[in-house]
Amino acid sequence: MFDLVWLIPLCPLIGSVINGLLGKKIKNETVIGGIAAGSVFASFMVACGILFQLLSLPGEERVIQKTIFTWIQSGTFKADIGFLIDPLSATMLMIVTGIGFLIHLYSIGYMHGEEGFYRYFCYLNLFTFSMLCLVSGNNLLLMFIGWEGVGLCSYLLIGYYFHKKSAGDAGKKAFVMNRVGDFGFLLGLFTLFYYLGTNHNVWTINFVELAKNADLLVPGAVVTTVCLCFFLGATGKSAQIPLYTWLPDAMEGPTPVSALIHAATMVTAGVYMIARMNFIFIKSPTALLVIACVGAATALFAATIGTAQNDIKRVLAYSTVSQLGYMFLAMGVGAFTAGVFHLMTHAFFKACLFLGSGSVIHGMHHALHHEHSEADPQDMRNMGGLRKKMPVTFWTFLFATIAIAGIPGLAGFFSKDEILWQAFANPHHHAVNYVLWGAGAIAAGLTAFYMFRLVFMTFFGQTRLSEKAFHHLHESPWVITVPLVCLAFLSIFGGYVGVPKVLSEFFTGGAFPNYFEHWLEPVFAYSTHYTEAHGAHGLHSVAMEWGLMGVSVLIACGGIALAFALYIVAPGFPEKFTSTFPALHRAVYNKWYVDEIYDFAFVNPCKALGNFLWKGFDVLVVDGIVNGVAAVVRGFSGILRYVQTGFVHNYAFTMVFGVALIVAVYIFR
Amino acid sequence: MESIFFLVVAAVAVISSILVVTCKNPINSALSLVMTFFCLATFYVMLDAPFMAATQVIVYAGAIMVLIIFVIMLLNVRVETVKRGTHAVIAGSAIGLFILFQTVWFLMKGSMTGKVGDMTKEQIVSVGHVELIGKALFTDFLLPFEVTSVLLLAAIVGAVILAKKKI
Amino acid sequence: METIAMPAINLAVIMPEILLSCIAMVLLLVNVFVPGNNKAYLGYLSIIGLAVTAASAVGGWGPSVSAFNGSVVQDNFAIFFKVIFLISAGLAILISDRYMVQEDCNQGELYPMILFATVGMMLMASGTDLMVIFLGLELLSICLYVLAGWNRDNLKSNEAGLKYFLLGAFSTGFLLYGMALTYGATGSTKIQAISSYVMGNPGVASNPLFVVGMLLIAVGFSFKIAAAPFHMWTPDVYQGAPTPMTAFMSAGPKAAGFAAFIRVMIFAFPMLRAEWSDLLWILAVLTMTVGNIIALSQDNVKRMLAYSSIAHAGYALVGFAAVNAEGAAGILFYMLSYAFMNIGAFAVIILITKKGEVNGNVQDLAGFGHKKPLLAMVLSIFLFSLAGMPPTAGFIGKFYLFSAAIKAGYVWLAIIGVLNSAASLYYYLRVMVFMYMKDPEEDFEWAGATPAIAVCLLVAVGATLVLGVVPGTVLELAQKAVQF
Repeated sequence: MFDLVWLIPLCPLIGSVINGLLGKKIKNETVIGGIAAGSVFASFMVACGILFQLLSLPGEERVIQKTIFTWIQSGTFKADIGFLIDPLSATMLMIVTGIGFLIHLYSIGYMHGEEGFYRYFCYLNLFTFSMLCLVSGNNLLLMFIGWEGVGLCSYLLIGYYFHKKSAGDAGKKAFVMNRVGDFGFLLGLFTLFYYLGTNHNVWTINFVELAKNADLLVPGAVVTTVCLCFFLGATGKSAQIPLYTWLPDAMEGPTPVSALIHAATMVTAGVYMIARMNFIFIKSPTALLVIACVGAATALFAATIGTAQNDIKRVLAYSTVSQLGYMFLAMGVGAFTAGVFHLMTHAFFKACLFLGSGSVIHGMHHALHHEHSEADPQDMRNMGGLRKKMPVTFWTFLFATIAIAGIPGLAGFFSKDEILWQAFANPHHHAVNYVLWGAGAIAAGLTAFYMFRLVFMTFFGQTRLSEKAFHHLHESPWVITVPLVCLAFLSIFGGYVGVPKVLSEFFTGGAFPNYFEHWLEPVFAYSTHYTEAHGAHGLHSVAMEWGLMGVSVLIACGGIALAFALYIVAPGFPEKFTSTFPALHRAVYNKWYVDEIYDFAFVNPCKALGNFLWKGFDVLVVDGIVNGVAAVVRGFSGILRYVQTGFVHNYAFTMVFGVALIVAVYIFR
Repeated sequence: MESIFFLVVAAVAVISSILVVTCKNPINSALSLVMTFFCLATFYVMLDAPFMAATQVIVYAGAIMVLIIFVIMLLNVRVETVKRGTHAVIAGSAIGLFILFQTVWFLMKGSMTGKVGDMTKEQIVSVGHVELIGKALFTDFLLPFEVTSVLLLAAIVGAVILAKKKI
Repeated sequence: METIAMPAINLAVIMPEILLSCIAMVLLLVNVFVPGNNKAYLGYLSIIGLAVTAASAVGGWGPSVSAFNGSVVQDNFAIFFKVIFLISAGLAILISDRYMVQEDCNQGELYPMILFATVGMMLMASGTDLMVIFLGLELLSICLYVLAGWNRDNLKSNEAGLKYFLLGAFSTGFLLYGMALTYGATGSTKIQAISSYVMGNPGVASNPLFVVGMLLIAVGFSFKIAAAPFHMWTPDVYQGAPTPMTAFMSAGPKAAGFAAFIRVMIFAFPMLRAEWSDLLWILAVLTMTVGNIIALSQDNVKRMLAYSSIAHAGYALVGFAAVNAEGAAGILFYMLSYAFMNIGAFAVIILITKKGEVNGNVQDLAGFGHKKPLLAMVLSIFLFSLAGMPPTAGFIGKFYLFSAAIKAGYVWLAIIGVLNSAASLYYYLRVMVFMYMKDPEEDFEWAGATPAIAVCLLVAVGATLVLGVVPGTVLELAQKAVQF
């Protein structure tokens, strides 16, 4: 089965090529969608096979490399087209292909009748291909290719409705901000390659080789620089402070795209990258601290913005940013397993939430369309009471919301709680731990609040639609609801693969171990040993863990209660609140004016500089030089062409002259 | 005696080859060329290569020159009337002198002898020149010999294609 | 009667050459019975013949085998080059039919002539005797003289054939003189014997006979690969010759020249390595610069590509001057990719030009990008590859050549190469500017592509991109081919 790993990325690529080249001629939506979803399903099946075969191997043998061929070979630099199969990449492959397949299926229903149906699926398959390259490549360069590929596809899909200016702008914004991050990634790659090569004569970018030589990396300024460069790349791709502002704007794309790219897979690439190179990051406490702080700050900051948004997708977007912050917090405190676990559960419930919101938008769009209303189908202020009309959407959405809010028993609780505990108890950051935990806990409360605010505004209460429109509202077709049900199922039960130790010991006496931690153990073994070997011990207090768990659950319940009070019991209160504190509300509603600050601090100066360079430097100096050189060269060219007289005897003469000169050089030297 | 003879023949060879390029009448040019070929044949004889000398006379001075003169007659090529540019003559002479200078430099600089062959004069005479060449052609140079046949075939086909009025 | 001791004749070693010559001769005979309007079938037959030959050539991959008293060898180096020749011959045949019909040219003997030329190239690559190499070169050249002048009704084509013949004969004189001097100095024409004699008698290395012999041989090959200052024939011949033949000449014979050049220099003159490496340095710089600079001011696309082909020989010489395995492998790779991208570019030119090769100027391409987007895109890919932009084969090839030069310590050579490469962008992009950014002056008359040309374009584009994106396998083969 391992030999077939190349099929995993290849299938979506083939699907993409077929739809890209022939899609316009095929026209039939079933065929196009079938090809796209089928290709991803094929990858999914292969990924399943690989997962099972990997499970059948003993833990320490679960690192398999399959090199297809040498891609680039230049002296000491060698890059293969090769795949790395280990528990981490197998997990990611399952997430990407599994959720990818569900979302492809969903898209067939959601994109029905759209112009450029084939284009959409071509891009979506291409995205899947790139993402699979990213997570399965066995070297940094292949990862970078995937990294750039997903960025490109993200750009194409955000700008899918390119006739809308806002969509085009959002695409550009995402692309540019990602490029800033990519620059960091590349710098990190070069520094790492050069550092290991010149100091230790280890010229490699292969993950397995790097891991083998991890001992050569001596903690210090260079390693910290490498880590921070890579982390800059991660902030771009995974929407962390300071490069997060593109993600909310990315909601201009079709909703399934938001679910797949901007919630479940692509934005987690940064987390995956850090987990993949944990053996480097663990060497730099400074970088870990930066990552933890950025993660916690992002989690809190984005959560505050989420409380005041009215666009259903924007709330989810800020929620994604906030949840990604949790994952980075986990990475930063050295809890790699917890981070990847949250990555997985988040993929389940956030994909479910996005697809649910898509289902709502789909329904709203049709309902409003019937009435020829110009109202925004994404604005929650136009919704309300939808639960009666869209029961499947409602229930799946509700479960996913409970999961994300961190209510015990569902997937989100296990992963989020694990992260918060590790933030509190980790051996790396000492006093900062309390701040990190505090930020995380408050963000958890805010998450519960804004998510339930969303649920209450959308599905409960009286509808704010007109009667006619409400009448036309109906549940979405099966291609949309089936993925919802699958994902809701995963949101509920997906967490049980990683039940924290205290819980399992208390309830089952340890009979139900933390499978997930055990599964990923070999991947992070080096970091674990390294931490232990360097005398750092985390807090081990069962009582404390229980206590903190209780607190975080209480905070979450508090958030829910607040939302219930504000949006069900006393719906008029939020109005009053905003009119009492208009400045605060405006600031939150306008996302703390970060976009405006960026415009002022970076975009406008860059534009001004660009204008100056263009008009002052480029046109005068550079063009002057270039044109000057070109004129001189062309002048020579004009003269030289006269040597080409067309007479044979002249040509022969030139030859003899050449021979005489060459011989002369050898005589007289 | 031999060296005097060589010098005379060499002088004739040089003069006749200069005449080949300077004669305005093509027939004269062609006849000068025949003269040059005969001189070369003489050199071969002096180098104890009678077969080469015979080939030189039969193939070049005989067959090829006859063809050339035929063509000149058939095409009725006129006496050259175009005047050559003086700068071409100057440039040509300059480069010619330069090459002459180089050659002389080489000769002055050191020995120009290369490897002396395995065969002595006596051996060649006793075995026979023709037989030796034949042997070489069928052993060491078997492949080049065969390739020549393909080469000639291609050349014939090419000549026919380019020359024939209607194919 | 004394019997002659025959040398070890191992026919398997020259099987590809034998096969292809036989096929060519059979085709000459078959041609008589094929009616005038069906001559294209001869082309298809010859493609099958080329494929069979390629199969037999590739079958010899592995350890090298010598035959005919060391006159000829079958090694990976020769096999790699043979595949390049066969590919370029095949692609040239694919694009010939339509052009020859359009120009009312005789087609019947065309294909056998191309095959004979290919036999000559193969002998150049596998010959280890100066005589074999010379005869291979002559066989190739004679066929090329005829092919260049194939269009007998076109004055330019006649001129091309004649000029090529005269100058070719002239350069052959240098080559032969060089070989004769080398023979005189070392007493053998076998490459192996030459080098071992010089090893045994180091004094010979400073013998003027030997040095000048080497120089004149280098001059002869430089003419063949169109290196400056022996490049003067190229523009006139390339422009005048029928376009498919120009495509063929620029790809196959150039590679053949390099094959023989590399083999002779590395094996026969290892003692003079410092001398010829310096010579190649100078030739490389001159060739790149002259080719690129004059190409800048060309309006005729064919002529522009002719100068660009001179420049490309210069890039390959950069790798040759480096005298290391990477450089040699780079040349092999570059010649292969060059065959694809250059013949591809000429194929598009064939589709664009009308009878008599009118509208072959850059200006005539105005608006082509909007009229024929697919074809324009294909041409753009070839031009990008020629300019050496990723992700095309041309980029990888240049990258390897220049990095070989840097590794050998010729940093300046690599810098000059890169600068030249940058300058070359101007004239390649100029074509694209006309295609995409100018409005057409008159309507295109479009005859449409034949299936054969479509196949050629498909293969060429595919190979250009594949070699550019995943060059690993082919590079590995090239590296194996230069492990002598």
